[in-house]
Amino acid sequence: MLWKMAWRNLWRHRRRTFINLGSVAFGVWLTITAVGLGDYSYLRTINDSARMGFGHVTVQPEGYQASPSLEKRISDTNNTLSRVLEIDGVDHGVVRIIGQSMLASASKTVGGAFIAVDPSLETPEVNLFIRALKRGEMFSGTAGREAVIGSLMAEKLNLDLGKKLVLTAVDKNGEVVSELFRVKGIFKTSVTEVDSSTLLVPIDRIRKTLGYGADEATMISAYVEDYRKSRSVRDLISASVAPQGAEVATWRETQSELASLSDVDRGMNVLFLALLGVLISAGILNTSLMSVLERKQEFGMMLAVGMRPAQLAGMVLTESFFIGALGLCIGSLLCAPWIYYLLEVGLDMSSMMGTDYSAGGVLIDPILHIELYWQTILITIVGLLVLSMGAALYPAVSAARIPPIDVIKKVA
Amino acid sequence: MSSSSQSSAERSIVELIGVTKRYEQGEVVIHANDGVDLKIDKGEFTALVGPSGSGKTTTLNLIGALDVADEGSIFVEGRELSRLSATELSTLRRDRIGFVFQAYNLIPVLTAYENAEFVLALQGVPLEVRKKRVLEVLAAVGLEGRENRRPDELSGGQQQRVAIARAIAPKPAIVLADEPTANVDSHTAETLLDIMENLNREFGVTFLFSTHDERVMARARRIVRMMDGRIAGEDLRSSGDTA
Repeated sequence: MLWKMAWRNLWRHRRRTFINLGSVAFGVWLTITAVGLGDYSYLRTINDSARMGFGHVTVQPEGYQASPSLEKRISDTNNTLSRVLEIDGVDHGVVRIIGQSMLASASKTVGGAFIAVDPSLETPEVNLFIRALKRGEMFSGTAGREAVIGSLMAEKLNLDLGKKLVLTAVDKNGEVVSELFRVKGIFKTSVTEVDSSTLLVPIDRIRKTLGYGADEATMISAYVEDYRKSRSVRDLISASVAPQGAEVATWRETQSELASLSDVDRGMNVLFLALLGVLISAGILNTSLMSVLERKQEFGMMLAVGMRPAQLAGMVLTESFFIGALGLCIGSLLCAPWIYYLLEVGLDMSSMMGTDYSAGGVLIDPILHIELYWQTILITIVGLLVLSMGAALYPAVSAARIPPIDVIKKVA
Repeated sequence: MSSSSQSSAERSIVELIGVTKRYEQGEVVIHANDGVDLKIDKGEFTALVGPSGSGKTTTLNLIGALDVADEGSIFVEGRELSRLSATELSTLRRDRIGFVFQAYNLIPVLTAYENAEFVLALQGVPLEVRKKRVLEVLAAVGLEGRENRRPDELSGGQQQRVAIARAIAPKPAIVLADEPTANVDSHTAETLLDIMENLNREFGVTFLFSTHDERVMARARRIVRMMDGRIAGEDLRSSGDTA
């Protein structure tokens, strides 16, 4: 009977109930949109960053993170990579040598970073530079003298396809060594610092140049199917796979600037959602309290005829639960086409951010899509229900504390 | 305890001994009840009468465990109210006392049937038993065919009949009726009194009214007169007497 009464009580003031339902439904829409867009943006940025070199999880020489140097390297990389690929959650893996170098053409010299790769392991899914190739093509062998360079580096060094450049670096013994390459392809990621200072070269050629053994490299980059599992994958690799003298780091450690940026952004998102929650709660608290005050005499009578205060509080909370649950249903229904649009088409923000907006050295996609995790949906549902009922807690307790005598008292 | 006093205690549903209740209004202290001694036996049809402020409603509120006496003792079916916890008082009100208020006080979102069912539902009475009892009491107050109407679809008299049905449905030891005829016309008042008198005669329901209404006084078999918070006197009549 209490459920029946709570349900019917909702419709005593239809306009008030519809306003409450509207605010909960709006909360659903805003929460799903804000969290979904945020999650998509983190996913995209973190994955792109991983594709630029380090992966989601990196196996690297001990101390490399604090002080990167080509003198530090890990061995037995092929065997380690095979074992890394067997770990649950790891999608892909590559062996790379990353280092600083001087790059010289016939006319100019600039500083830059080289990434030595095995093209047979690199795919567009894990290598952003292959996806960003604008001219020429990716080299195919591991021992050749071909390079793929950034478009701005090509401009600065006055290079074009087929032209020569000299890479100068420090080898495993700290000696300065040089190697000649010919430009095979030119990529453009639209991130200035990347396009002006990065080049890809074949891994075995660099091994030979630096004096590395056939199975040595500076890192193994692992790509995880869900970046949120990076930490657990790191722990698994660290515990059972990593070779002696190696350390294992997640993208948060190798890309600390990006991690800080996404943490700040997430913090802002949480703050925004908390403020939204306060606004929704205030609305529900206001109407719930008003509705309790209006029914004081009715509640006094119920308590007088033997209703328990807890039953009365339960009825008021149930009314609020109905508001929350119904608002969630309405909000979800209204949200569905919007979510579908964001998933399939996306929101084009290029007029506001341009097409080459980057953060932390990673290009931000101007087409905003949405990424919905089941945890987001669950937290939204539970959060809004808790908010609805939490906001009605004070009115419910107030109702339960109404002394029946005060509302039906009359000294005769 | 002698056998005669024991049988008197068994007969007695309500007993007030030296009950005092004071209210403070600013610096003025009002003695709403001032040493009230009163005993109500099973099956009585009694009216508390007196001018406004004489303490009638306060007496009903104290008997109904809605208020607490400052001094004295109140017994309902032998249990002293001051010794009961808030939960026990709530249970006592739910199971043993029926209330009929001047302003009907029905729950507007429930139908006549559901209002009459309300206290039985609080008691956790099984649905089938509840249904049988509610239909029985609605018939007893003459509301067959109006079970599904909400209070705003009923006249004042009909609403008060629903309130009476709600009060008697759980078979309480006593029904406390505070000015039950104050808000209805004289024809409706007579009808309500017929119903309550019939419930009293046919089913032995004990009624205690507070009233100004001459018609209620005319039907009551015992009239307790109150003045300034005290019992000023009482009249007993045989069932055939009229005012």
